[in-house]
Amino acid sequence: MSNEDQSEEKETIRLMKGLHLTKPQLALALVGLVVVLLVPEIEGFFDNLQLDTFHNGILWGMAALGLALLLNKTELVSFGHAAFFGGGAYGGAMLVNFVGVDSGLLILFAAVFFSTAMAFAIGWFVADYVAIYFALLTLAFGQLLYAIAIGSPTLGQDEGLRLRSGGEASGDPPSLFGIEFTLQQQGEYRLVLYYFTILLLIASMIVMYRIMKSPFGSALEAIGQNRTRARFIGIPVERYVWGAFTISGFYGGIAGGLYGLRQLSIGPEGTLYVFVSGEILFMAILGGFQTIIGPIIGGIVLTFLLDNVRFLTEHFELIIGILLLLVVFVLPKGIWGSSEDIKNGLMTRVKNPAQLGADVGTLQKMLINAVRNAITTIKIILFGVK
Amino acid sequence: MLEARELIKEFGDLRATDDVSLTFGKEDGEMTFIVGPNGAGKTTLINLLTGLLEPDEGSVIIHEKSENGTTERDITDMDPEQRVKTGLVRSFQVVHVFEEMTVRENIRTASLSNHGLTRSFWSLSDEHEEVENDVDELIEQFRLEDVAGDVAETLPHGDRKLLDVAMSFALDPRYLLLDEPTSGVGAREKEYVIETVVEASKSQNVTTVTIEHDMDIVREYADRMVALVRGEVFREGDPSLLDTDDELRRTLLGVTPDE
Repeated sequence: MSNEDQSEEKETIRLMKGLHLTKPQLALALVGLVVVLLVPEIEGFFDNLQLDTFHNGILWGMAALGLALLLNKTELVSFGHAAFFGGGAYGGAMLVNFVGVDSGLLILFAAVFFSTAMAFAIGWFVADYVAIYFALLTLAFGQLLYAIAIGSPTLGQDEGLRLRSGGEASGDPPSLFGIEFTLQQQGEYRLVLYYFTILLLIASMIVMYRIMKSPFGSALEAIGQNRTRARFIGIPVERYVWGAFTISGFYGGIAGGLYGLRQLSIGPEGTLYVFVSGEILFMAILGGFQTIIGPIIGGIVLTFLLDNVRFLTEHFELIIGILLLLVVFVLPKGIWGSSEDIKNGLMTRVKNPAQLGADVGTLQKMLINAVRNAITTIKIILFGVK
Repeated sequence: MLEARELIKEFGDLRATDDVSLTFGKEDGEMTFIVGPNGAGKTTLINLLTGLLEPDEGSVIIHEKSENGTTERDITDMDPEQRVKTGLVRSFQVVHVFEEMTVRENIRTASLSNHGLTRSFWSLSDEHEEVENDVDELIEQFRLEDVAGDVAETLPHGDRKLLDVAMSFALDPRYLLLDEPTSGVGAREKEYVIETVVEASKSQNVTTVTIEHDMDIVREYADRMVALVRGEVFREGDPSLLDTDDELRRTLLGVTPDE
């Protein structure tokens, strides 16, 4: 009990059951929310801040949030999560093209339904597997869907599908909340969609927060930490992994469905390809998958980099690669997950500059150790073990 | 009553369990200790009873008392997690706990499962009163108060063993199968661990089956003793056999009565 008592003692504000924030945290959350809501207003002032990028970043982040449930709790790494993002996007697009629906909400509903059903089906196959086998199976299923999408003339092969009315390039965007939009009103359409996205983002973050704190979340955590023991306290391991996988697909579906509505044109390359799965995974790690906000931050940051760095230098993939290495080595808990550590580290150094000298010492020691290990290894390779 | 009926399990050419028939808990709360040299099939027997392994032949049966006598329930094909729900619970020789959770969270997770709450994804893990009460009680019973907030992997070995057993008790066991609850525990702590476990079993009238290598512990606590040798039941009966049966002593301890 002692731990929980201590955290209760700090002055907190109760937002809802189980969600208590300190005053600075609440202020930060409000500022964050205001900034997010103002993005459409201020995008003109900054060259690099585009609503496009930001909106897409949030959507990828939502998919990463779904993946984070698997990563954080069950400690399973899915390499095929683009399947659900792309599945959502295609699910919505198919409704437009084959049924002729033009209501945005129905399209989103179809997207979520389609991707969740897919996650349900794929989850049945993969729930028994762990570690590398789980990763490879999810990868294989993702590639299978990519192959289907790119090979099927019905799905537009590598050109994909449009979500405009009639599936045509000059068609109107779908209607939202009963409002019809013409081709010229695409700006307004995107604005409404953006605010709708924010609403769904907040809802899905709250839901994920509650799932992670719930008994079901505890059971998933138990499965991640020791499957055998989980089984022997009566947890039906495979069924729960299956459930978590399906929830994860549900999140991918919302994100993918909104992405389709946002882009109005989707193709296999941008939604289903194996690199896309890698990007979603990277976003979760980059932002910090132990937190709820982390994957969203990761999504926004990586999308921003992917959209902008490629114009700065032709070696942008190198930069992204180095960034991933840095995160894994220096910030293993991700940008957001490590923010507390970074803050504490900076504070001690501000209070006590001598600490910097000690840092240099630590760094030296690390280097010396690394060199020593390298020498030993070379010796062993050259002369064999003594 | 828990019954092993003609259980056979082979690993390749090795018969780990060779036609073992045993019953445990003819009276509720009976404490059986299983002894035997390494490789006698003790752990295999527990694995077969709890469903970690499937037998090649034979069955596992639970006899339940009901209004019209006893009914037999064949649980041979049940998954481990289903067996837990019938009250058949085990611990492991190597501590199996959730290493990154605190002591409290470990016991809580087991208790949530026992109360059938793990399907709930909208309530909070720590808001269920009946669960928290059980957890408090177990922490006290297993004397884990001082480490309740500590992460499992940082605990001393004796506490880890106790935590493992405490989690089993969180499941309201009727049959508790303990695979060497004192293995790896220092001599001084050993007594403490086994006493705590025995006390808890007695207070809840749990039928226990315990694998144990320390004959002093068997002499002191066992109601009944089963000796397994090369996969077969070698002796079955009162623990005093350990002192009176010369053949048993030779097999188990490698000593002749004269020594």
